[in-house]
Amino acid sequence: MSRRRADERMSRLLVMLPWLMGREVVPIDEVARRFDLSREEVVADLELAAMCGLPPFVDELIDIFIDDDEVHIGVPRLFTRPLRLTPLETLEVLVAIRAASGLPGVEPGDPLLRVADKLSTLLDVDDAVIVDLDGPEMAVDLRSAVEAAELIELSYWSQRREALIERLVLPRRVFADRGFWYLMAVEVDPLSDTPVSGPADTATGTTAVEYFRVDRIVDLRPTGRHLDPPAGPLPEPGRWFESEELPRVTVRIDPTLRWMIDQFPVDSLTTLDDGRLDIVLAVASRQWLERLMVRLGPGAEILGPAEYAEVADRFAASILARYADDRPSDRSNGAP
Amino acid sequence: MADRVERLTNLVALLLETREPLSLRQIAAELEGMYPEGESARRGAFERDKALLRDIGVPIETEIVQGGSDPGQTRYWIDRKRYELESFDLDDEERRALQVAVAAIRQRSVIAQQALWKLGAEAVASAAPTTVVIPFSTVVADLREAIERRAVVTFGYGGATRRVEPFGLLLRNGFWYVVGHDLDRQDRRTFRIDRVEGAVEIGEAGAFERQPVVRTELFPTDPKLIADADEVMRTALVRISPPRATLVERQVGADRVRRREPDGSIVVAVDYRNPTAMRSWVIDFGVDAEILEPEDLRRDLIDWLSGMVRGR
Repeated sequence: MSRRRADERMSRLLVMLPWLMGREVVPIDEVARRFDLSREEVVADLELAAMCGLPPFVDELIDIFIDDDEVHIGVPRLFTRPLRLTPLETLEVLVAIRAASGLPGVEPGDPLLRVADKLSTLLDVDDAVIVDLDGPEMAVDLRSAVEAAELIELSYWSQRREALIERLVLPRRVFADRGFWYLMAVEVDPLSDTPVSGPADTATGTTAVEYFRVDRIVDLRPTGRHLDPPAGPLPEPGRWFESEELPRVTVRIDPTLRWMIDQFPVDSLTTLDDGRLDIVLAVASRQWLERLMVRLGPGAEILGPAEYAEVADRFAASILARYADDRPSDRSNGAP
Repeated sequence: MADRVERLTNLVALLLETREPLSLRQIAAELEGMYPEGESARRGAFERDKALLRDIGVPIETEIVQGGSDPGQTRYWIDRKRYELESFDLDDEERRALQVAVAAIRQRSVIAQQALWKLGAEAVASAAPTTVVIPFSTVVADLREAIERRAVVTFGYGGATRRVEPFGLLLRNGFWYVVGHDLDRQDRRTFRIDRVEGAVEIGEAGAFERQPVVRTELFPTDPKLIADADEVMRTALVRISPPRATLVERQVGADRVRRREPDGSIVVAVDYRNPTAMRSWVIDFGVDAEILEPEDLRRDLIDWLSGMVRGR
């Protein structure tokens, strides 16, 4: 049995006991399934609880008894009510309800709105937390295509290819992550209207998908054709940077630039004696990296691998060429 | 020595059921053999237990005895009303709606799963067509509490210390923002919570009147419009080459296109308060964008890029 932390076990127990107290007999497997524990963990926690109660621990114990495959509950006296929600739990439920309420298809009288009402006293639901799930207008059309399982044609500006590309896709999810909206879609062969088999993630068994930044979709054309979505779970949104197949780069930055990198998943971060930071990052593409480096500016340098050493220089020089008629200002004479 | 979870469970039961607040000595006596004998070891173990319980949300009350036989002594108990979740019922439809909402928005969150159990539901799997990747942190929860208590918050941001009367939290495009009244600039401001440096200090409750957060369109989340310092609003003219021209026109609106050129390039007017964010925005286009005006913004970009090419 793995070692579980005391705080996790306590949290679990303080919600498991009240749930049990409302029932007379419950199969152990049902408790395990509901509370995401193994049978052994359920038995261990409940046998421990059965020894607990009020001093002098002779007459006033938590009245639970485990027998074969079942948990028997006696007189519910202690721990009959669950602990209130913590601030973070409150916030997560509140945000989930708010966000889901804002999605298309929620009409007045929807059960979700009734839940929000009922929880309003419990959660101090008020106007202070606003969830804006709107996103760009195009997200609405994409959402419809997801729900209808409709094939759409995309004209898309690919940063990696630095060109406009055409794709036929089956949209699967639309999501926002760290400032941008994305379409997660399965690429489809236009000749056969079947999914292009890509490298599915064999470790997790998830479907092979492509990601498109919604603000780079130049044009989208519904086809009126539909496709049954491939079976299998979809990758979790927001984790795609974490593929081990992406190359890594080590960047050294002034600490004042830390916030610009903080929004990306970072493999490791080391603080040097002088306060500068060495950061190892996944590289989405050379184009992505050169933009990041030029945005970071002189306070950042690439330590390695060597193939990336010149990317910032070259990219900066290429942009500078558009301003070839101007010369860098002479700061030494104090001119503005 | 008893298993720690056993001791914690007994401690919670004791403090919930006691009719009077108890001192540590009384607690140790009642939970016979569960706390170490020595005074400082016992105190240490108890403080750790208290901290753990508070972290998981168990509210432990303390009072300092005023008179009587033991003045100055601390006593403990749990107020049942503060401990217990008020009872309420969800019908099957409502429970399902709640589970689906949490599955769509907070899939795989252990915290949300815990919350669902407390509310009498359980986590379900779901692949909702639209979702948001929501970064959660204790800073977000702290700020929400500050908003509720109407307390001024102080935090580091962009290298400076900011003091704000917070009145709302806004989740947009996958980032959290706190909106409020900036006390030093005497104006409404938006702050991106993941850019807050260090911890947030929360002041005294009831320090100001709450402003309802209406018209969220008044709270910009475009980085070009969120200023670190005291910057005024300015407008830049930027030329964008095709095929990105279409994308930019969609982003800023056709009414911001000042000129259309024969090759398909457009010149757009872009508002900004934050020159750094403006520069980043332009850099992202690479060779497909050129700043035309204002002169100092164009100058700054040239100097910035030249510094990178020359200085290596």
